[in-house]
Amino acid sequence: MTDAPRSRWANPDVWLGAFWLLAALAFVLYLVPNHIDEAPMVENPMQSPRWLPSLAGWLIVALSLGLIADALTRPLSAAASETAGERSGAGRVLLMLIALGTYWLLLELLGAIATGILATLILFAAHPVRTVWLYGLAIALPWLVCLLFIHVLNVPLPSGTLWD
Amino acid sequence: MEGMQEVLALFLSVDNFVAIGVGVLIGVVVGAIPGLTATMAVALALPFTFSLEPITAILLLVGIYKGGMYGGSITAILIHTPGSPASACTLLDGYPLTQQGKAGKALQMALYSSCIADLLSNLALILFASYLAKIALNFGPPEFFWLICFSLTIIVSVAGDSAIKGLIAASLGVIVSCIGMDMVYGSQRLTFDNFNLMDRVAFIPLLIGLFAVPEVIDFYLKKAAPHVRASNTGKGLTGGELKRSLKTIVRGSLIGVIIGAIPGTGATAASFISYSDAKRRSPNRANFGKGELDGVAAAESGNNGVAGATLIPLLSLGIPGDVITAIILGAFMIHGLTPGPVLFQENLTLVYALFCGIMLSSAVLLVVGRGVIRYFSLVADIPKEILLPIVLMFCVYGSFAVNNSLFDVGLMLLFGVVGYLFNRTGFATAPFLLGFILGPMFEDNLRRTLLIGHGDPMIFFRGPITWLFIVLTVLSLFFALRRYWLDRRQAAA
Repeated sequence: MTDAPRSRWANPDVWLGAFWLLAALAFVLYLVPNHIDEAPMVENPMQSPRWLPSLAGWLIVALSLGLIADALTRPLSAAASETAGERSGAGRVLLMLIALGTYWLLLELLGAIATGILATLILFAAHPVRTVWLYGLAIALPWLVCLLFIHVLNVPLPSGTLWD
Repeated sequence: MEGMQEVLALFLSVDNFVAIGVGVLIGVVVGAIPGLTATMAVALALPFTFSLEPITAILLLVGIYKGGMYGGSITAILIHTPGSPASACTLLDGYPLTQQGKAGKALQMALYSSCIADLLSNLALILFASYLAKIALNFGPPEFFWLICFSLTIIVSVAGDSAIKGLIAASLGVIVSCIGMDMVYGSQRLTFDNFNLMDRVAFIPLLIGLFAVPEVIDFYLKKAAPHVRASNTGKGLTGGELKRSLKTIVRGSLIGVIIGAIPGTGATAASFISYSDAKRRSPNRANFGKGELDGVAAAESGNNGVAGATLIPLLSLGIPGDVITAIILGAFMIHGLTPGPVLFQENLTLVYALFCGIMLSSAVLLVVGRGVIRYFSLVADIPKEILLPIVLMFCVYGSFAVNNSLFDVGLMLLFGVVGYLFNRTGFATAPFLLGFILGPMFEDNLRRTLLIGHGDPMIFFRGPITWLFIVLTVLSLFFALRRYWLDRRQAAA
C-alpha cells in the first residue's frame, strides 16, 4: 500500500516542479519588482516593461504546479527511473572543468592561440588520447583556426595581454 | 527579343559566374563555422564589391547569402552545433540521424531540400514579386502579433515528451529575452547594472552554448569508451527517400516564401513553422526529434525558402526583409541603383539579368554543396575525443567574435551548463530557443498594436489577415494539444 505513493514522491519531476515553483515565485515577487524599472508613464499595463516578464513568471508558477500534479498522478515510468550510464572518474571531470575555466579566465591574458592550445591539450589528456602525435594536432589546430579567424575572417581574437 | 539579348549579354560574363561560385562557396564555409553567420560574411564581402560591376557585386552577395543559409545545416547535422540561427531546427532530427550513422542521408536531404526550396523561392521572386509584396505590405503590428501567436503554438510540437516542461522552457526563454534595456521606455530589465547585459543577451553565444557545449560536457561526464571505427557517414539518400519527402519540401518552401516575403520575420521562424507543419501531417510524427529525414527536409526547406523571398520586398518595394538584404540594399545604392518600382522602370535589363543569376545560384549551390558534403561528412568519422575539443574551440572563438567580448564567452559556457541540465532533466532546448526568439517580437508587436489602437482592443481583430491567423492559432493549439493527449494515452496504455 505504501509503495505507490513513495514511488510517486520519488519521481524527480516532483522536485523539479518544486524547484521551478520556488524559482518562479522568487522571480515574480522579488526580481521583477526590484530589478525591472517601471516606466514613468504607461497608457496600458500590457505596455509596461514588467508585463511580459511577469506573465512568463506566473506562467512558470502555474506550469510548475502542473508538473508536480502530473508527476504525482502518474506512476514513475521505467525509463524515468533509469539511472544515467556509467559515470566518469573525478579526474576526467575535473580536467574538463579546468579546460572550460581556461577558456573563461585565460583567454584575454594568454590570447586565443595559447588558450586554445592549452585547453585542447587538457581535454585530450582528460580522455585520455593515447596516440602521441595527436597532441601535435592540439597545438597546430588552434593556431591554424586562430589564423583563419584573424587574417581571413577579420575577427580580432585576443592576442594576450601577457605578451604585450 | 532585343531585350532578351541585352539581358543575356549582361548576364553571360565569366565574372558573374565566378562571383556566384565563389559567393556560394564562401557562404557555405562561413555558414558552417559556428558563430560566423552569413550576415557577417555578406558584410565583410561588401567592401570587395566596390570595384565590381553592379550585377557581379550583387550576385556575389546573393551567392554568399544562399550558401550561408545552407552551410549552417552542415555543423547542425554533424556536431549538434548550428552554424547559423536558422539551422537550429535542422539539428532536432539531423544530429540524431548522425548518431544513427546516417549523416550522409541527413546532409544530402538538407542539400536537396535547400536547393529545391531555393529554386521555388527564386521562382516566386520572379513570378509573384509584385503580388506577394502587396500582401506583405498589409502586415501591420496586429497581423504580426497574431502571426507570432501562431508561431508560439509550435512550442507544443517541439516540446519533446513533456508539453509542460516545453512550456516552462519557452517561458524561461521569454524571460531571458527580456534581459537588457527596454527598447521603448529605456528601463533596465534584469541587467543588475551590468553594462554587458544592457544590449540584451547575444543570440549566437546562447545558441552555441545551448546546443554544442552540452555535448562536450556530457561526453566528459561519462566514462571514456573506446572509439569504434566505423563509417558514421553511412549510405547516401535514395531517390525513394527524396521522393517521399518531396511534398514536405514543397510545403516548407511555400511557408518559407510567405514568411520571407514579410519583412522582419526571418528564416528561423520559417524553419520552425515548416517543421511543426511537417510533424503535424506526418504518419511518422512520433519519430520527429529522434532522426526523421522529413524533419531535416522541413527545416531546411523552410529556412531556404526564405532566401529568395526576402528579395521580394527589397526589389519590388525597396524594403529590406532582414539584415542581409539591408546590406544588399546598401550594395545597390553604392552602385547608384535604388531598389523599388523605379528599378523595374529604369533598369529592367539589370533586374532580369539578376533574376538569371539568382536562378543559377540554386544550381551552383547544388554543385558546391555536393562537393563540400564529401569533405565535411568526414567530420562524422572523427573520434569524439578529438572532435569535441576542436568544436569547443570553435564555440569559444565564434562566441567571442560576435561582440569581441569575453562576457559572451562566459555567457556561452553558462548556457552550455543550462543546456546540459535541460537535457538531463528532460527539458527540450528548442522551446527555450523559440521563447527567446519570439518573446521580443511578441512584446514589440503587442505594444505597437496597443499604441496605434489607442487602447481599443478591436484593433487586434481589424481585418481578414488577423482573423486568418487567429483561426490558425486556435486550430494549431487545438490539434497540438489533442495529439499530445492522444499520444500520452497511447503511451500509458
